[in-house]
Amino acid sequence: MNSIERIKAAVNFETPDRVPVIAQVFGHAATLAGVSLRDYVQDGDLLARCQIQALERYDYDAVFALMDVNVETEAVGSTLTYRANQYPDVKSYALSGGADVDSLSVPDPHEAARMPELLKAVRRLRQEVGDGVLVVGCVLGPMTLATQLLGIEAALYLAIDEPEQFAVLMDFATEVVIRFGIAQIEAGAHLPIVFDPSSSPAVIPPQFYREFVLPSLKRLFAAFKQTGVIANWLHIAGPTESVLPFYPQAGVDIANFDYSVNPLEAQQAIPQICLDGNIKSLSFIEETPEVIADESSRLLDQFADRGGFILSSGCEIPPESKPENVAAMVLATRKNG
Amino acid sequence: MINLSPQELEGTMGNPTIDLLVKALLDGDQAQAVTATKNLRDAGVGHAQIIMEGVEAAMVQLDAKCTVEEFNLLEIMLAGRAVMGVMKELYPSGTHSPQTKGTVVLGSLEGDIHDLGKNVLKMILTAKGYRVVDCGKDCPVEKMIDAAEQEADQAIGVSGLLTSVIPHVRQLREKMTERGLEHIRIMAGGATLKQASAESLNVDFVAETAFDGVSYLEQIAVGAK
Repeated sequence: MNSIERIKAAVNFETPDRVPVIAQVFGHAATLAGVSLRDYVQDGDLLARCQIQALERYDYDAVFALMDVNVETEAVGSTLTYRANQYPDVKSYALSGGADVDSLSVPDPHEAARMPELLKAVRRLRQEVGDGVLVVGCVLGPMTLATQLLGIEAALYLAIDEPEQFAVLMDFATEVVIRFGIAQIEAGAHLPIVFDPSSSPAVIPPQFYREFVLPSLKRLFAAFKQTGVIANWLHIAGPTESVLPFYPQAGVDIANFDYSVNPLEAQQAIPQICLDGNIKSLSFIEETPEVIADESSRLLDQFADRGGFILSSGCEIPPESKPENVAAMVLATRKNG
Repeated sequence: MINLSPQELEGTMGNPTIDLLVKALLDGDQAQAVTATKNLRDAGVGHAQIIMEGVEAAMVQLDAKCTVEEFNLLEIMLAGRAVMGVMKELYPSGTHSPQTKGTVVLGSLEGDIHDLGKNVLKMILTAKGYRVVDCGKDCPVEKMIDAAEQEADQAIGVSGLLTSVIPHVRQLREKMTERGLEHIRIMAGGATLKQASAESLNVDFVAETAFDGVSYLEQIAVGAK
């Protein structure tokens, strides 16, 4: 089996030749290549080259055309601060200073800010790996984009104080990510991961998720499915136990779960959905390969009977992670998967 | 909106208007909380009683709720905003603030602009009667230590969402010791820092949630007595 066949088997609860392993390597690929994050997140060719080098080194099942969480908000009008060895952050939000959502336009992914560079990275990666390895693009969840357009505190207060206005903002955010995601699929991504940290139950209660987040995710995933993704992948970090039961309604096919979520509880919450996780991100910096190998084996054992599993980290593998730790996770699926 | 008449206030048992204030704070309803505060004051209830039986009681209940159910930042933010509204109503100029339980310096260290968790802790600490000096986000280590030297009598709290702040956190203890600040405790929290142990970060305590951090401060106070 190649990586795509392996991942499809896991998603469909069939038996793969081994458990797929996806290391969430984003900026770590730049670190490995000795490239600054500032350059990595602005140059699609460079990003793709670093991802391919990391793939050659680790031999895992997916590569990522993923820059940072500010691609969409910058394309809409936020300004960013770029730093040499960190992901950029927002200097000024598109909706700061009382700007109206109606004054914003949905950006054209082929023209706006870094979106064309990300599409370029998708195309390069697909040219390199074809259908052998999963090419993953990335969009923000609408909730996270809403918080990146206004600032998280202002966005959350808006949701409570002026829910109609917040709904307008969520509609706009959903349009932005649908258009961007479809452009990525058309450029060759097998799927865009939907990265939605602001929807974590650490930030909002489940009722809020049901009212505001779920409808927008349904629209988003339906649009991606219609455009031909091989699966819909949702990534929410933190203690997601209370929102996992909403995932089937949202149209999720692969659900990321973080280190704080008990794997057995996650299995019970969504028995029909493929799970990926959940080694603690910080462990890739702080621990030894032996610890990572043990953690990997424990997870492989816990999912051995169920299937529907992709071995992964609970969230991003940090840029400064030890390469031998990433290699230990990958090796575990060769030995025990 | 709540607007009790003097007759309604007079006919109450066990001060239900305080209960209304507590409920408004737990609901995160700033307008109702401020109205309940005005009604209490008009009925002759003193500021100290409003804070102790209203604001602090609400914080205790919120802490319990977050322990039993699930801690989320939005509910705490709303309660915190309502508390701030009450405090502003009681002390409009900010000059007659109540006696504090101590001063805590908070900040998100350099390289990290995420400050929601830090701001939530600030609100809870303020509601619980602490004075908070906020060093903001992307704060250099030296600036944080300067603030600790000038202002803190209990602890400093650092928040981190990015792994890149960990080396800065690890420097704090040594640099504070060099400045004779061994007595100031160091707390860490936030999505990334809470993945690490206090020992590995070289700090005194790693808080799972904002309330966890407040409990730690209260334990220090008990231990100091």
